[in-house]
Amino acid sequence: MNPPDNGVASFQPVHRPDGSATYTCPLTGFNVLGAVNAPIELPARRDALKPEEATLEVFVKPATSSPAVGERYVEGILRNLLGAIILGREKGFPRRGVVLTLAVLEGGDSKATGRGSSYLTLLPALLHTALLALLSASVPMSMYFTTTIIAVTPSGEIICKPSIKDADEAASVHVLAFSSKGHLLLTESEGSFDFDTWEKVHDRALTICHLPEEASAGNGKVEYAVGSTWQKWLAESVEDYIGFKYAYEFA
Amino acid sequence: MSKEAPLSLAERDFILDAVREGVRLDGREVDQLRPLRISFGREYGHVKVQLGKTSLVSRISAEVTKPRDDRPFDGVFNIAMELTAMGSPAWENGRQGELEPYVTHVLDRVIRHSNALDTESLCILKGVSCWSIRADVHVTDYDGNLIDAACIGIMAGLQHFRRPDAVVKDGQVIVYGVEERVPVPLNITHKPLSVTFHTFCDGKRVVYDATRKEEQASEGDLVMGINNAGDLCFVSKFAGAPVDAMTLITRSSVALNKVKEINGMIDKALQSDLAERAKKGLAEESRAENDRIIA
Repeated sequence: MNPPDNGVASFQPVHRPDGSATYTCPLTGFNVLGAVNAPIELPARRDALKPEEATLEVFVKPATSSPAVGERYVEGILRNLLGAIILGREKGFPRRGVVLTLAVLEGGDSKATGRGSSYLTLLPALLHTALLALLSASVPMSMYFTTTIIAVTPSGEIICKPSIKDADEAASVHVLAFSSKGHLLLTESEGSFDFDTWEKVHDRALTICHLPEEASAGNGKVEYAVGSTWQKWLAESVEDYIGFKYAYEFA
Repeated sequence: MSKEAPLSLAERDFILDAVREGVRLDGREVDQLRPLRISFGREYGHVKVQLGKTSLVSRISAEVTKPRDDRPFDGVFNIAMELTAMGSPAWENGRQGELEPYVTHVLDRVIRHSNALDTESLCILKGVSCWSIRADVHVTDYDGNLIDAACIGIMAGLQHFRRPDAVVKDGQVIVYGVEERVPVPLNITHKPLSVTFHTFCDGKRVVYDATRKEEQASEGDLVMGINNAGDLCFVSKFAGAPVDAMTLITRSSVALNKVKEINGMIDKALQSDLAERAKKGLAEESRAENDRIIA
């Protein structure tokens, strides 16, 4: 497998929020800008606040329409996943809010961001942007995650990193997210498929997302295509940013 | 947080004393614009505006809809602006603050009500179908003078945008894809822009393009919408300290110069972007060979 292009991430493109990041997906062309404010007072939501942990708010803003049902749906997915990994009981977080805002600035093609179309092609871009923005805001998390989209053609062929056209023509589309320990955190599927197909998709997604233990232990004998995993991409993106930000300390 | 952090007394006094002596925090003249950068995205009508530390993205989109019953010859044009927590921690997602209705109102007046976009040219078939043009403004960084920045973003977007070509054949509307026919630019009748001033020292000092801190320290504001020909299409003095009539007159001539200057910058950015696109398009078309895999 050739090392595929996993997209371009940049940290802190905007100044006002506590943390922000942009991510551009090379295949679908989605460009998402994410901003995190945390911990922040939420005066208007006093009744909704949990006394012992932080409240997570997610807001997704489409490029050329007002937010509607589709956005509410992905906001729910993001809230569930991120709520599970953010350490909302750390010092300074209880009774405060973690406000995550994601704006889709450029969408693959206009059809993909239209009303009623599938949101799954956009989901990995949103999840990666959210994670990068949270990292840039230094929000404590119990683990990080990587995510990927996989399409299965009507003939049963598995396409990794499908384009929007591929996803449209596929029999089923799956989005899976794995934690840094390799546990399955999220699975969203669309279309018709059977359990065997899903198992195959799961195994494939795991090799794309997760860096196997041996590789991270660093004993050098790895058969997997390490250069292509999302985990490595994520580590490199963050490393670049930290190297740049704390250049004065490394010098 | 639902309000911007207020200025400290010392900060406020410093800004006020400086303005009294005609000096600004960032060393600008009182009538000087912050560095303005306009860039365009891959798609038509995708504009990025950076005005000092204020930045925003505006997107123009078009779709075919039914015209309103009372205006069968007119298309639809809407400006949508929603302030999110991305622009400033003081703005809450999904909740309107004080600023949002105000800015939307001014943009609506300056651009939409002055007929900058000829809505009649958006009609495809009388009473049956027309184009609906939508301008979305995403504020990514807020450091004062949101109105002018948004105005620049929308006007540049409208001039940059190309809608798909549509024709009527035997009472049927056919919309051609971007690959089939060259997309059409929108019909812009004039190019109005807003110019925002802030007043200090009982209206004696008037400052153009205030930063967020200057806005907070100011007594009141004055917004003018003016086009290249010098037609004043909007003046507003919503709140704050009163402004002298003479100030209004002298500032309107300053505003005209500013609008000409900014429109010049927009034109320059547009031309260089179009030239870039033409070069890319020609290179693609003038290629003689077919796509084939060479083993």
